[in-house]
Amino acid sequence: MASIRLQNIAKRYGAFVGVQNMSLDIADEEFLVLLGPSGCGKTTTMRMIAGLEDPSDGQIIIGGEVVNDIDARDRDVAMVFQGYALYPNMSVYENIRFPLRMRGIPGAEHDARIRQAAEMVELGSFLDRKPGALSGGQRQRAALARAVVRQPQVFLMDEPLSNLDAKLRQSMRVQIKHMQRQLKVTTVYVTHDQIEAMTLADRIVIMNRGAIQQVGTPDQIYSDPANSFVAGFIGSPPMNLIEGSARDGRFLAPGVSVPCPGTVTGKVTLGVRPEDCRVAGEHVQGQVYGVEPTGDVTYLTVLAGAKKIEVKAARDYRAEIDTAVGITFDPARLYFFGEDGQRIREGA
Amino acid sequence: MAARRKSRGESRVLRYLVLGSWALVCLLPILWFLSIGFRPRTEVITPRPIYWPTFSLDAWNLLVSDWPIALYLRNSVLAVTGSVIIDLILAIPAAYALARYDFRGREDIGFYILSTRMMAPAIVAVPIFFLFRQMGLLDTIWALMLIYAAINLSLVTWIIRSYMLDIPKELEDAARTDGASDLRILWEIIIPACRPGIITAAVIAAIFAINEFLFTLLIASTANAYTMSVALANFTGGSDGIIYNAIALVSFLAFVPILILVILVQKHLSRGLTMGAVKG
Amino acid sequence: MATARRRSPGLRKAFPYLLLAPAMLYLLAITLYPGLFAIYQSLFVVKFVNWTWTGLGNYRLILQDREFWAALGNTAIIGGISLALQTLIALTLAYFAYRDPLIRGWRIVFLMPMLFMPSAVAFIWKLAFNDGRVISDLLMGLGLVEGNVDWIGSIWLARLTLIVADVWQWTPFLFIIFVAGLQGQDQEIEEAARLDGASWPKIFWNISLPMLRPIMVVAVTLRGIDITTMFTNVFVMTQGAPGGATETMSYFIYRQGFRAFNFGYASAASVLMLILTIVIAQTVVKRAFRSGKS
Repeated sequence: MASIRLQNIAKRYGAFVGVQNMSLDIADEEFLVLLGPSGCGKTTTMRMIAGLEDPSDGQIIIGGEVVNDIDARDRDVAMVFQGYALYPNMSVYENIRFPLRMRGIPGAEHDARIRQAAEMVELGSFLDRKPGALSGGQRQRAALARAVVRQPQVFLMDEPLSNLDAKLRQSMRVQIKHMQRQLKVTTVYVTHDQIEAMTLADRIVIMNRGAIQQVGTPDQIYSDPANSFVAGFIGSPPMNLIEGSARDGRFLAPGVSVPCPGTVTGKVTLGVRPEDCRVAGEHVQGQVYGVEPTGDVTYLTVLAGAKKIEVKAARDYRAEIDTAVGITFDPARLYFFGEDGQRIREGA
Repeated sequence: MAARRKSRGESRVLRYLVLGSWALVCLLPILWFLSIGFRPRTEVITPRPIYWPTFSLDAWNLLVSDWPIALYLRNSVLAVTGSVIIDLILAIPAAYALARYDFRGREDIGFYILSTRMMAPAIVAVPIFFLFRQMGLLDTIWALMLIYAAINLSLVTWIIRSYMLDIPKELEDAARTDGASDLRILWEIIIPACRPGIITAAVIAAIFAINEFLFTLLIASTANAYTMSVALANFTGGSDGIIYNAIALVSFLAFVPILILVILVQKHLSRGLTMGAVKG
Repeated sequence: MATARRRSPGLRKAFPYLLLAPAMLYLLAITLYPGLFAIYQSLFVVKFVNWTWTGLGNYRLILQDREFWAALGNTAIIGGISLALQTLIALTLAYFAYRDPLIRGWRIVFLMPMLFMPSAVAFIWKLAFNDGRVISDLLMGLGLVEGNVDWIGSIWLARLTLIVADVWQWTPFLFIIFVAGLQGQDQEIEEAARLDGASWPKIFWNISLPMLRPIMVVAVTLRGIDITTMFTNVFVMTQGAPGGATETMSYFIYRQGFRAFNFGYASAASVLMLILTIVIAQTVVKRAFRSGKS
């Protein structure tokens, strides 16, 4: 159980900057998710916490102790890798035992702890098998068990679910969250999948190009994005980002006319989520580009000028392509972003 | 355009003609030599060659009674096995360093090791002779062991290195976070994971060691150190001339184990022979 | 983590060197020491235990020695022809064999000559050509020659016997590597070419062969290096006859050192051969292995 603090961390590879000046506080027992597209620096950050990479600048503090000089072996951090990294020549039992042996934990305790860990991931009957004889999901759970058996201070997980099929991913998500609550271990979880982030995290850290874009709870990230990157990254289907200009309380773009706060002027980007749009109205005048019924909801794509706007319509909504259609936005759910991408917030 | 009949590869006739011819080129001399091993001495060298000889175990009797063939066999086995063990002990850490670590001079060191494979034995033949004579190691199996190990070290190192490169880095990261030291990782994780490479390297090194001729010729002067390879050159019975049927027999005695070893690693042969450059 | 080890950056940095040390020391002992010894000894005329200083005398003699240059030339000629032949044959065989369903069988059969000890192979062909006269007999039967052929009697016949022995034994080496290389090529490219209307020979010439080139370079370089060290066949089959026409560099050194006991002279030859090897290694090999592996 430990808190983690990253103080002005940076990682450079020659001229390339993997992680920019980054500071972050992770509370004890917190489930923190590092979210972002590939190459954003999230995995690098986590590897620095693990000790597998050295930061070019800054300090890493785990449990109040600066660990920059402490080898990965001794940081009391357990990691689950994307490819599981199970030792192919050892049985699952031996795989789980490995960290116990390396840490010098007395042999008498091994068996009990291994079985306990295996039970926790429901792998009890597979202990004798070698990794090659396991399915993807079973390997994943074996990797989890190996991390859990040590009772470490920190869990690190590097996209552990990305190699699983969708259904398995969902059940594993639930299991991981449950386990973390049970074990009460500080967890740092890396993913590019925003659904994983939203469902698992106590707090999310969204990263892009080596820098933190926003830190907050899933609710905060979703309903109060700090910039257009965050706004466009979270949400499925993603938020509509419409570029235009605002003047005298009105936002204008081809086919779009929406009232906006007086503080919003100049070239701005309007953001509005598909579920906050309603068919029929005056805010947008355009043509139907596409209609996608999915059973519980129908996605309508409207072409306004050159811009395609997604709308979440009622499940029985149907329309012919190229028919004229209007959209109304929920005025309480509009987001405006300046030219720099930053969110324009109403005056406090 | 007249449509041509479908086939993978050109006309089968041509193909089997070519391949079949070479197969005959390979097999006929072997079969003929085999027959030499099982015919009486009088039928080996004759004014006109004899193609249908009478069967005889002359050579076998000769080997068993007059020549310490078992001794030669033993020498070969000892020297070869010893040299392979030495090589593995030296090469595995070296291969690991070359495969996984980034350090100054890695390319140059790697190239140096590679270049020792290129060195002709004749270049160091005279100095080695003097060196071993000085150390009193002439005509001993130890000398052979050391030489074979030296000749094959670069080969073994590069083959194993090639297989180590295939091991996913994640495995080592996992072991490190689990608390393992570098040596532990090497012993418990890396070595088991590149076992096929180690076996391939060992087999190829063994074959080259069995075959070695020049150094063995210089170093071995009595039955103390004669190996199968050089013993062949000694089947000259003075006034009798070269005892070919015995030579043939011994050749096949050496051929069989080598054949078995090669079948064992045939999947990895092209990769091993090119020291990792060509993955079969 | 109170008992955590603070790693020492020094040890971290030195570790790979420590791993390499035993192997490097061993190799240096076997190359550096003999190399230095050879250089040293080459500066003397050695008669039994008497070492007389002669400075560069040996080198002067060697460079004027007709036999030395002959040996060099022989190595190049015999080795070159042999290498070219076995490359051609191996390539042809690989072309026909790599897609054949019987490839496993072909591979085992073609591999067999390589599995005999080189000394054994030398005796096989010594018997076939010289002592047992089998080849002569076959040629007579075909009506190509009359009477026995003296294979050691003529320069090119003697060289031919060496070439035949080497090609017979070592073509498989190139063969398996070529086959492995061809089998590793993307079949879809070949299929696309087929659909484009190309015939098999055209596909091989224009597509498969160029793709095989880096592998060919590595394999032929390796075999080429080994061929320059040709010794066993010469020792068993011709001993350099007739008149030194089949004496290779290795045999030259052997003869000077262990037949004529001119150790200083032999060492000088060794040094020269070493210089040649280094030059070849730096230029040819570096390039071959750069292109052949990552």
